[in-house]
Amino acid sequence: MAAVEVHQFAQCITCHAWSADRSMIALCPNNNEVHIYRLSQDKWEKVHVLQKHDQIVCGIDWSARSNRIVTASHDRNSYVWNQEGSEWVPTLVILRLNRAALCVQWSPKENKFAVGSGAKTVCICYYEQDNNWWVSKLIRKRHDSSVTSVAWHPNNILLATTSTDGKCRVFSTFIKGVDTRDSKAGSVSDSKFGEQIVQLDLSFSWAFGVKWSPSGNTLAYVGHNSMIYFVDDVGPSPLAQNVAFRDLPLRDVLFVSEKMVIGVGFDCNPMVFAADERGIWSFIRFLGERKSTLSGSRYSSQFSEAFGKFYGQSKSGASNDGIEPSRSRGGIHENCISCIMSLTESGSSRKTRFSTSGLDGKVVVWDLENQEDLSGYL
Amino acid sequence: MATSLRLYLTCIRNTLEASLCLQNFPCQEVERHNKPEVEMKTSPELLLNSILICRNEAEKCLIETSINSLRISLKVKQADELENILTKKFLRFLSMRAEAFQVLRRKPVQGYDISFLITNFHCEEMQKRKLIDFIVQFMEDIEKEISELKMSVNTRGRLVATEFLKQFI
Repeated sequence: MAAVEVHQFAQCITCHAWSADRSMIALCPNNNEVHIYRLSQDKWEKVHVLQKHDQIVCGIDWSARSNRIVTASHDRNSYVWNQEGSEWVPTLVILRLNRAALCVQWSPKENKFAVGSGAKTVCICYYEQDNNWWVSKLIRKRHDSSVTSVAWHPNNILLATTSTDGKCRVFSTFIKGVDTRDSKAGSVSDSKFGEQIVQLDLSFSWAFGVKWSPSGNTLAYVGHNSMIYFVDDVGPSPLAQNVAFRDLPLRDVLFVSEKMVIGVGFDCNPMVFAADERGIWSFIRFLGERKSTLSGSRYSSQFSEAFGKFYGQSKSGASNDGIEPSRSRGGIHENCISCIMSLTESGSSRKTRFSTSGLDGKVVVWDLENQEDLSGYL
Repeated sequence: MATSLRLYLTCIRNTLEASLCLQNFPCQEVERHNKPEVEMKTSPELLLNSILICRNEAEKCLIETSINSLRISLKVKQADELENILTKKFLRFLSMRAEAFQVLRRKPVQGYDISFLITNFHCEEMQKRKLIDFIVQFMEDIEKEISELKMSVNTRGRLVATEFLKQFI
C-alpha cells in the first residue's frame, strides 16, 4: 500500500503545508482560519489557530529555514506569520491587490515570495528592512485571466505561472537590492524585473499546478482538458511534450525526481507520470489501488465469484433495467485532491514521501519506497 | 424502462461525471465576491462549451459548465395539453421549494422546464456521485410522476363523468 498515513483533520481542506522537520502541519479547513497541528505521542494535536483573514484562505506556504508561514486569502490580503515564543505574530503584506489572492509560494532562498491573484497580476513580495515591512512589486498586464498557480525556479529568479487563460508563463523576478547578480545563473540574471522569458500556449483550457523539476530543467503543468505538459529547455526555444490521459483533469503536480511526476486532481487518486530513457513522458498508473465494489466480491473462491457476478447480473436484469448507480471510486480520498506537498527533508535528494489533501478533509501521506515498478524512475 | 431512456440517462450521467470538476474561484470582476460564473457570464474564458443532449425534439438536456459552477436544464416530454399543464404545475411546485433541494434553481433557464445549479460549495459538502445519482434519479422519477398524475386525472375524470351521467339514466 502506497498510502502510509491517513488523517481526517476537517470537513474540507483547501491547502496544507508542513514545517521544516515535518512535525507540524498548517492547514485551512475551508474557512478564514489556519489551524496548526503538532504531532505529539502519535497523535495530532491542534496547537494554534491563526485568525486574521476574513475570507477563505487558499494558499499556505511554510518556509523551511526561516520558519515563517505565509498565507493568502480571497480577502485580497496576505500575512507573514513569525513564531515568537509560543505565539504566531502576523505581519500584513501590502499586496496592493484589488481582487482575491489565489496562491502563494516562498522562493528557494526565502527572501521573496510570489502571490498569484484574481486581479490578473502576480505580486513579488520582499522584506524592506528600513520600513520593517513586506512590500510587493507587481507584474501587470501580462495575464489575461486569474493566476492559479506560481512556482519558483531553484535559481531564485525565474517564476513560472499558470492562469485560467490556459497559458503558462515564465518571468524574471530580479529585484535590485534583494537579489545579487551571479555568474552561475547565466543569462537569466541579466533580465529585468517582470520581463517575460517565455509564454507557453499549449492548453486549450485553464491551466493549473505548475512545478519545476528539482534541477530546474523541466517544467510541468496541467490543463483542465485532461492533459499534462512537460517543457524542457525553458528559454527562447522550449521543447514541449503533451500527455493526454483518459481520466478526469488534474489540479496539482509534484516532481518526485527528475524523471517522475505525481499528479493529483478530480480523479481522487494520485497519478504517476514518468519519463523513459529517451525522455518521453507517459502515464504509468494510479498510485492508490482501486477496490472493486461489485456485489459479487463477498464470494470467496474465484469460481463462485464469477458465478456470483453472473448471478448478480441476471438478477439486476430481471428486476429492472434501470441505470446502475455510479460506483464509488474506492480510493482513499473521496473528493477532489487539491494540494500535494513534498515530505522529504531538505537534505536528501530522493523524494519518496509526499502528502495530499483534498476537499474530503483528509491528509494522506504516501510513500513510494516499496513500489518496485516505480523505483527505477526515482 | 425503455432502452432509449436508459441511453439518454447514461449519456447525461457520463457528461455530468466529466463536467462536475468544479473548484472555488473568486469573482474576477467584483472584489470580495464569489459568484457562480455560469450565471454571471462576465469572463468568457471561465466558461466551457455547453452541451446539449437530445432524446427527441421534446426531450432535451442542456449542460453548461464554468470554472466554479454547472447548470443543467431539462425539458420534459409534453405530449398533450394535459401533460403540459401537469408538468408546469408540478415543476412549479418543486421550484418554489428550491431551497429544500439545494441544487434546484428557482427559475428554469428560458426554453426549459426545470434547471439545477451546482456550485463548488455543493461539491464540497456532498459527494459528487450522490449528486449525479440525485439528478438522474430525479429525471427518471419525473417521467413516472407525470404519467401517474395523468393517469389519476383521467381516472378521476372518468369517475366524475360516470357519476354525473348516472342521473340521466
